[in-house]
Amino acid sequence: MATVTYSKATRIYPGTERPAVDHLDLEIGDGEFLVLVGPSGCGKSTSLRMLAGLEDVDDGSIHIDDRDVTHLPPKSRDIAMVFQNYALYPHMTVYENMAFALKLRKTSKADIDKRVKEAAALLQLEDYLNRKPKALSGGQRQRVAMGRAIVRKPQVFLMDEPLSNLDAKLRVQTRTQIAALQANLGITTVYVTHDQVEAMTMGHRVAVMLDGVLQQVDTPRALYDQPSNVFVAGFMGSPAMNIKTVPVTEGGALFADMTVPLSREQVAAAQADGGDGKVTVGFRPEDCDMVSPTEGGMPVVVELVEDLGSDANVYGHAALNGTNERFVVRTDRRHMPNMGDTIFVKPRPDRHHVFHAVTGNRI
Amino acid sequence: MTTEIAPSAPAAPVAASKKARVPGGTARDVRLLSGLGHLALLVWAIVVIAPLLWIVLGSFKTNTEIFLGGAFSLPASISPDTYIQAWNEANVGRYFLNSLLVVSLSTTGTMLFGAMAAYVLARYSFPGNRAIYYMFVSGLAFPVFLALVPLFLVVNNLGLLNTYTGLILVYIAYSLPFTVFFLAAFFKTLPQSVAEAAMLDGASHTRLFFRIMMPMARPALVSITIFNIIGQWNQYLLPVALMQGENADQKWVLTQGIANINTSAGYQAEWGALFAAVTLSVLPMIVVYAFFQRQIQQGLTAGAVK
Repeated sequence: MATVTYSKATRIYPGTERPAVDHLDLEIGDGEFLVLVGPSGCGKSTSLRMLAGLEDVDDGSIHIDDRDVTHLPPKSRDIAMVFQNYALYPHMTVYENMAFALKLRKTSKADIDKRVKEAAALLQLEDYLNRKPKALSGGQRQRVAMGRAIVRKPQVFLMDEPLSNLDAKLRVQTRTQIAALQANLGITTVYVTHDQVEAMTMGHRVAVMLDGVLQQVDTPRALYDQPSNVFVAGFMGSPAMNIKTVPVTEGGALFADMTVPLSREQVAAAQADGGDGKVTVGFRPEDCDMVSPTEGGMPVVVELVEDLGSDANVYGHAALNGTNERFVVRTDRRHMPNMGDTIFVKPRPDRHHVFHAVTGNRI
Repeated sequence: MTTEIAPSAPAAPVAASKKARVPGGTARDVRLLSGLGHLALLVWAIVVIAPLLWIVLGSFKTNTEIFLGGAFSLPASISPDTYIQAWNEANVGRYFLNSLLVVSLSTTGTMLFGAMAAYVLARYSFPGNRAIYYMFVSGLAFPVFLALVPLFLVVNNLGLLNTYTGLILVYIAYSLPFTVFFLAAFFKTLPQSVAEAAMLDGASHTRLFFRIMMPMARPALVSITIFNIIGQWNQYLLPVALMQGENADQKWVLTQGIANINTSAGYQAEWGALFAAVTLSVLPMIVVYAFFQRQIQQGLTAGAVK
């Protein structure tokens, strides 16, 4: 039960100029499940390890509740962590792995036994308590790593890509288990992943990072519907949003023959700060329709159709300002075009996102 | 002694597989080469086993039998007399126990200090880390003969000449370079995340080392321990230099004792008793090899395949 606060926390690895984590300001509420997401090398793992005490904090501070933990050793922070490769103790049984931290805390034998058995029951590990990690499957090892964190009843859980070593099916299953477990225990959790589906489905709030800088923190829904800049817009969602930089006129953004209407304020904002008559417009694959040639859509030549069973992704290209730009549209299976067809694509009104062409910020 | 079989063992299959890849190389070539490899191993095995066999057979023979009979002829009668004679009259029993005492303490010390030094040098970065590491490793290249005189003076000045303490300390110092070199390489391969997990679980650096890292390094620790036991058990030069003075012959280790039977006896020597003493001294090492063969192999190849 605790809150976590990063205040301008910065990490610069020795021998590098650019900070791995740059003035991170982030508040995580009591019992919240916060997901840190971003491409590899964005500083999300480093941020987590700073909170764990495994990385130095070069500037700024980190608080758990009101306690300044910035320079405390890991063992004084009362946190538990699940590692990507699980990091189980190979010479100890499952039981000993889970009991290790409690033993170091001089917990009574009876209490240790009770807590380990409870955690084992919760994670369906009762039959494996006497096995060594090497005699377990990947999924079981992952659960032992979870169990080792749970028995401690720590103030904060840290998870560093705990699902990335599991196969696709098990990953989806474990994803829901972890989310349910966290909801049950109500322990503040920081979860690092590069998988935006995990971020969207598990987090109460999601923090998107790029190049050590926090881009946006919000609920998954708000992040998806109101991305604050081009990077977040492109990162969240699969297939990715169609984002193009096109000329702007009084009427709106020009996609070849099609005009995407913009408000007067948006046009003004796009032209400020050296916008140079351009604007960046994005629309999601599911936020556009295939229309008939007369309805003013943009002509797109189909290159590939992915039939996903429930629906289909149509990939194609259109000539914009003399270059071929790629587009993707999600469509109903009943209206799947064929390769080589020309379809006419029109974004739904008011479902597009407008960004400044130079700064990339939402306008 | 028997370790030297190892280098020739892999050589044969490697040569065979190389040959197999040559166009036109046939299964017959492979068989021929592997046959030659086995022949080489056989010759080597004979070279190693024959002297051992000669010693063991000789230990049951009388002087006459040894000098007039064939080297590998069977003794006229099998009796433990020579062994009893060696153990009691030539004091092999006392030297055996002396060796046991010295080697058990010095090996324990070597492993404790060696493992700790190697662990810190391998896993903690601090100024001077590399300098200390290379100082240890340079000990590997330094011939012990050159160190003998200064070593004698140092030990003498410390008043540790002709004491077990002195001998044990010198054994430890002598064994540390290779122990640190070998173990540091191994400790480097252990996963960092396990160490981090233990720290988050609340382990101090000391506990992390003894409870997590040492057990994980067990294969390497076992093989280097055996290596040190054998090396220190067979040590002759250092005790000869350091165990001298009044009543030194009471404190001799086994190698000195056996050498003494040989050198002092001259033509009157009881060769059978000498052979029995040698057999007795070799026995523990053979036992160690027989029991820990698997671990020795594991340790030598540890880290090669995950």
